[in-house]
Amino acid sequence: MSSSTATATATADPHHDDDHHGLSHMASIKVLVATGGTLLVLTLVTVLATKIDFGANINLAIAMAIAVLKATLVILFFMHLKYDRLFHSVVFVGAILAAALFVGFTLMDSNQYQQTNIWDPDAPPAAPFGPRPTSG
Amino acid sequence: MANTNAIKDYGYPDGPTTEPDFLHVTKGIKSWMLTLDHKRIGMMYLFGILGSLIVGGAFALLVRTELWAPGKTIVDQDTYNAFFTLHGAVMVFLVIIPGIPAALGNIMMPIQLGAPDVAFPRLNLASFYLWCTGAILLIISIPGGLDTGWTLYTPYSLETRTPVLIAVSGVFLLGFSSIFTGLNFLVTIHKFRPQGMGWFQLPLNVWAIYATAIMQVLATPVLGITVLLLAVERFAHIGIFDPTLGGDPVLFQHFFWFYSHPAVYIMIIPAMGVISELISTFSRKPVFGYRFVAYSSVSLALLSFLVWGHHMFVSGQSRLANMVFSALTFTVGIPSAIKVFNWVATLYKGDIRLKTPMLYALSFLLLFTIGGLTGLFLGILAVDVHLHDTYFVVAHFHYVMMGSTLVAFLGALHYWWPKFTGRMYAESLGKVCSLGVFFGFNMTFLPQFVMGARGMPRRYWDYDPQYQIYHQLSTIGAFVLGISIFVTVIYLFASFWTGKKAPRNPWGASTLEWQAPTPPPLYNFEKPPVLHELYHYDDLVEVEEDRWEREAPTEVEADAGHGGGKP
Amino acid sequence: MTEKPHEPHAPHGGDHGDGHGAGDAHGHAHGSPFIQHHYDDAQHQFDSGKLGIWLFLAQEVLFFSALFVAYILYRYHHPEIYSYAHKYLDVKYGAINTAVLIFSSLTAAWAVRCAQLNQRRGLILCIALTIGCACAFLGIKYIEYSHKVHEHILFGRYFDPCVSSGGRELLTRNNNCAGTKSTVVWDAGAGTATAGCFADIDQDPRREGVQADCTVKEYTLTETPRRVRAPRNGADGKPVIGKDGQPVTEEVEKIEVTETFKRDLPERCAEEPLPGHGEAEGGAEAAHHAAAEKFPCWRPAYQPAVCKKGVGILVEYGDHEEREHLRIKAECKPPPKPADAGDLLADRSQPLELGVPLIQPRHQLTVHEQHELEAMGPPPEHTNMFFTIYFAMTGLHGIHVLFGVGVFTWLLIRSIKGHFTPDYFGPIDYAALYWHIVDLIWIFLFPLLYLIH
Repeated sequence: MSSSTATATATADPHHDDDHHGLSHMASIKVLVATGGTLLVLTLVTVLATKIDFGANINLAIAMAIAVLKATLVILFFMHLKYDRLFHSVVFVGAILAAALFVGFTLMDSNQYQQTNIWDPDAPPAAPFGPRPTSG
Repeated sequence: MANTNAIKDYGYPDGPTTEPDFLHVTKGIKSWMLTLDHKRIGMMYLFGILGSLIVGGAFALLVRTELWAPGKTIVDQDTYNAFFTLHGAVMVFLVIIPGIPAALGNIMMPIQLGAPDVAFPRLNLASFYLWCTGAILLIISIPGGLDTGWTLYTPYSLETRTPVLIAVSGVFLLGFSSIFTGLNFLVTIHKFRPQGMGWFQLPLNVWAIYATAIMQVLATPVLGITVLLLAVERFAHIGIFDPTLGGDPVLFQHFFWFYSHPAVYIMIIPAMGVISELISTFSRKPVFGYRFVAYSSVSLALLSFLVWGHHMFVSGQSRLANMVFSALTFTVGIPSAIKVFNWVATLYKGDIRLKTPMLYALSFLLLFTIGGLTGLFLGILAVDVHLHDTYFVVAHFHYVMMGSTLVAFLGALHYWWPKFTGRMYAESLGKVCSLGVFFGFNMTFLPQFVMGARGMPRRYWDYDPQYQIYHQLSTIGAFVLGISIFVTVIYLFASFWTGKKAPRNPWGASTLEWQAPTPPPLYNFEKPPVLHELYHYDDLVEVEEDRWEREAPTEVEADAGHGGGKP
Repeated sequence: MTEKPHEPHAPHGGDHGDGHGAGDAHGHAHGSPFIQHHYDDAQHQFDSGKLGIWLFLAQEVLFFSALFVAYILYRYHHPEIYSYAHKYLDVKYGAINTAVLIFSSLTAAWAVRCAQLNQRRGLILCIALTIGCACAFLGIKYIEYSHKVHEHILFGRYFDPCVSSGGRELLTRNNNCAGTKSTVVWDAGAGTATAGCFADIDQDPRREGVQADCTVKEYTLTETPRRVRAPRNGADGKPVIGKDGQPVTEEVEKIEVTETFKRDLPERCAEEPLPGHGEAEGGAEAAHHAAAEKFPCWRPAYQPAVCKKGVGILVEYGDHEEREHLRIKAECKPPPKPADAGDLLADRSQPLELGVPLIQPRHQLTVHEQHELEAMGPPPEHTNMFFTIYFAMTGLHGIHVLFGVGVFTWLLIRSIKGHFTPDYFGPIDYAALYWHIVDLIWIFLFPLLYLIH
């Protein structure tokens, strides 16, 4: 099996990219350039989108959506995950999930104590039940 | 179940060989230091880990000696802080986390798979050197007297003048050693199984190593970035954990425990894998509920990522987060319990042989039950408010880390010692020392539960006289424990000179590594191993004391799973 | 593809006896000499390596995750810091870097294709281009970082910006920014300004009618080393007493600093029109603003991080020189008390004119104008955290780019030597995957850091 591919021809054959001859899927030039071009266009879009103000949260959502789209293109086509074993996707998605867990739980926690009063040494709050006891 | 990843042909030769075993095939220091053989790498890890065990144990005895009486016994407070910090750091990072996977896993796991080596031998050697460098850096920080506690909490770890930078550099490298080892094992288990060994024909030890490797790859990088940020904060004052610059010291705790909780499962799950092997072999019975035990390893690995906040119940964490983490902590106890019940069911009506490894396995059952249960007690919010940072916690984690993991490590060491050294250790000494470990351990740590519940805080150099009796019992127990472990290490090494030559299968075990020669040659097998039904002992006969052989295979078995070769 | 002769390894020592299926399918019998002996064949080695690199990428995701946690946490709880501080970053450079990295991702993926097709020259070219792009990325990063270092826009305690994110000069603690000098004298040990802040002038230039009447003088500092006798201090900091009961003195070299009056600075800087005001007041203000400022000029500058109460006086020189041996001193009169409303029919300084409105209508500021207004002022408290996170994330990412350069250089050398063939190109594939992850992380860093609104 390996010996046959060792003598494979050197000419590119863009019509057979989905065949699994050779060790793994080979990307066609069309797919690579199209993906690269789309990514560059999306970069331009994301920069231009900041010029229009939809409100802080929506702008963030748009920027993140475009970033996720770009990331998906890189992962599927540049990294060949579309044509690769399912398990590799499982590994990658698993890592993203673990990171999301980390973010989610920590944010859930810190969200809870935003109403805490911050101590200001120059302006301590009044003693609730009478004057502050003197030290000693 | 079709094994699409199966190796087609390991290319093992076809019969008895005059090839020397892996210990003698090449000679000289350089052949060891540049070896790519997983067994040699594992043995080098083993020596390093046993050495670190002695160092960490010495610090433990120093701590316990100081606590013999209130106030100063042998050292002052700052030195005492350094003692418990270094005891913790050395034991956690150099002994317990790498212990079973890096040393014994490296030596044995590929052979259990019937494979000639791990997937990435050069990466394996690199992992070992990362471990060595990390160990050296950690040891270098000893004279400086690192005193932050092994948990390195900010803000003190940012302010202390002790060598935090050196120590955390060591921890960073040790983390990457762990990551690469886990990565190596994951790929090996996926890609180096023979024909006929699908996922549910894997030995439970391999399942455990697989689950551990998942955690090593996903959790350890967070430790890496945490200590990196700590180092940069100390060095350049970037302010991420410093409240005066706008940072958050509790954020450090979130970062630290996101790794360190899965880390404790990285410690215990390989131990559980070993116990499955020991209990099965020494009861001459298949493990009860094999699939449940296998699934529980992986589910424990995944659940371990969800509970890190239970170390932070009193850190100022919100009530909501506390409740969520507490509830999840209860669920994480379930897979461990499943395993314990299955092991006990395995023992039931088994043909029990009380060899040294089995004594350790039985100790494990009791000690892990106590340790695991007390962990659940600590997971209850109202209880934890009283018990956090007391000796109750110290006793709990020593029961699971030492009473369970270290005991399993010792059991596994005795179990596989004949296979990779070619020598039998002194069995009677083994039994005596295992009992010494058991009784010494309980004498050390049972009183600590009591005094913790009565309010004795941890990491304290001085204490109220009412606790003295517990401390004294604990110290005596610690010396009994320490001496037993020390004698164990001695007689194990002595077996190189005085031990009987070991046969191929001294325990009558059924997994593939017992078909390899003793000790194995460079590529582990001198003829292709034959796959039999997992944990099946009927056709193994005890030819003489400590020597078992398999009866000739029947027609059915010869066709079922001929390891290697025929596609 | 030339094959090197291959020594037999155990377990293949000698003949195999019976053939195992496709007996010659062992990778090392034919094909690349880089197929290791414990693998079945080239496919087995390639697949194992592929799984290995994906696991490594998973751990890279987790390695960066903690920084994303810190980013999200701080942004969620302190959005004002992010909306202020991101303007310090130049979107142009960020966008160019994104484009460069995307292009380098393309060339890396193309390099894999070239290896698969045995196109050695294409492979070398693609790897070289990838390295070139990576170096370009690092070069632009260097430009960005050096600008920030120069302007003291750094992390943690070193955040002491010379300009606001809208471009207006600010008071700083270390008081040596290019083109400006202030009255502030900062004591790092005490963590506070010991001179130069005028507490009774509590002026926020964002508010109406900022007035402060000051006389500002410029002094040159000359440092002369002198040898003086001074008492020697012992280890406890107290003077050492000699045998005769008198403190022991010794000759030490002290630097004596003398101030020499240089000149008065009477010119007060024109107030920049605040957003929302300039248009309403018509062309006069705009014309004044457009006219050349007379430099040097002074103005009261509000910066709570430097002067806790009140303002400092900032002198603008209109150039980019750093002035070292200079001190500014000022004496300021408190602002005039607001006048009584008085008699509504009393004489006013401004005569009423038909058709000229006395009170100009003020329009509600748009969000954009609100942000611009804030960007003129000093940074909100703890803005240094934005830069802590910025430098941590881009720094760690940059280190990964550097490692990528190293790996690809090694692969370039191996490609030139002809190591890679269609049945052995794993290292190219794995390095390309690593490079795509580096690109992926930047795809998220760019909008998160540079494109905040």
